[in-house]
Amino acid sequence: MNILTNIAPVKITLTVLAAMMLCLTNMVGAQVLVPSGSFHSVMPEIKGEPVEVESFYLDSTAVTNQQYNEFLQDHENWKPENVPSIFAYKGYLKNWENTNADDIVNPNQPVTSVSWYAANAYCQSAGGRLPTLNEWEYSAQLMDFESTADAKEFANRLMSWYSTFDNENMGAVGSTGIENRYGIKDQFGLIMEWVEDFKPVVADDLSLDCGTVGRMQKLGNAYSYAASIRYITRMSFSPKSTNSTVGFRCAYNVETMEDKKSNL
Amino acid sequence: MKKLYLIVIFLLTAMSVSAQHNHNHSADNTLNTTEVNSEHSLYHLDAEWTDHRNETISLTDFKGAPVIVVMFYGNCTEVCPILIQDAWRLYSSVDESVQEEINVLAVSFDTENDTPEVLRKYAEYEQLDIPGWYFMTADDADIRTLAMMLGVQYSKKSDGHFAHSNLVTVLDEKGRIAQRVEGLNQPMDDAKSKIESIMAKLNK
Repeated sequence: MNILTNIAPVKITLTVLAAMMLCLTNMVGAQVLVPSGSFHSVMPEIKGEPVEVESFYLDSTAVTNQQYNEFLQDHENWKPENVPSIFAYKGYLKNWENTNADDIVNPNQPVTSVSWYAANAYCQSAGGRLPTLNEWEYSAQLMDFESTADAKEFANRLMSWYSTFDNENMGAVGSTGIENRYGIKDQFGLIMEWVEDFKPVVADDLSLDCGTVGRMQKLGNAYSYAASIRYITRMSFSPKSTNSTVGFRCAYNVETMEDKKSNL
Repeated sequence: MKKLYLIVIFLLTAMSVSAQHNHNHSADNTLNTTEVNSEHSLYHLDAEWTDHRNETISLTDFKGAPVIVVMFYGNCTEVCPILIQDAWRLYSSVDESVQEEINVLAVSFDTENDTPEVLRKYAEYEQLDIPGWYFMTADDADIRTLAMMLGVQYSKKSDGHFAHSNLVTVLDEKGRIAQRVEGLNQPMDDAKSKIESIMAKLNK
């Protein structure tokens, strides 16, 4: 704060303060507009035609333990002791000591060990929904690289991340330094994330064998190999799965956000 | 070589994850055959639905008798009418006395187009605006949750149509999945006997 007052002119101080507040709100839970566009999926049925994605809003970071805990205070039916087994396997929130409001371990880490049903209910209560698989993948590949070498290096980092998942030492949200050009953070490097339709309709035709990766499209970019891995991992999920490496973030329809803003 | 090594490691991980789920899954199936599985009722889904009569309903309203569920969308002119007819075939195959007891839920996953008004017209067009039949809509999240519970997959394509599974499900009196008929134009004999046996048990 001393630094701020030393800069002197009040106007500047206010601007800096405003900027700082903007940064702070950006750390957790800011909803960012991802403009419409298209991308190439690794799914075999697409055959080179880009997938069109309409504009949508996406949380800039994954939902944190703290945020999830706040949700639990208002939605007791999602507390581990109350949740019916049709909505989650036993591992639901297994790394939480308890679900009392005042005592949250690692509040700024992404919440994991949540089933699809729980993630879906959270986003619904936040006035949103889970991003669709295509929305998530589209946003994930909206990254800019200075050079082909940078992109290659990033691809290598991705691969080593997917093969050495360390959920013991998970960082806080926003800590990976990886973000797309609109400021959506940590789609890689932190956790896997639930999407609304995590088993694409064609998934039944694809089995989890060693040939599957080979049959997926090779797009020749930084993402395709890692993307194949994500698709295959997702296909192994059940909506009741509660993996310690899987969390989520929410998406919002553009109309919903515009309504919200006009009501303010 | 390193890449290959990574692929193998990852696939092994993925498979062990999958194996774990299969294990859990079979545990679920075992539970399903016992009497102590009211936990697995779809009626845990505490959502508000609106039907084609513009009335608010919840799934638990249908407790106490078997229910036939199909998921469809109104603009689907080729496959969905067959799916709805499949539900009708099943419904009309049981005795009239049974028909009076059971309900049919046709849930649309096209929330953009299938308003209660559109659903009413659909029901009238299909000549199924009859007692015991409910053409329903709700929040996207609730519809997706129901689909997950039933095992119905759907995803919107860029042309506004949906890729989706074709499934007729029979729920028992507690809302547990009693019978699934996958595909179009399938024989309904097993589903019919399932409904009849549940009703016979209930009327004892």
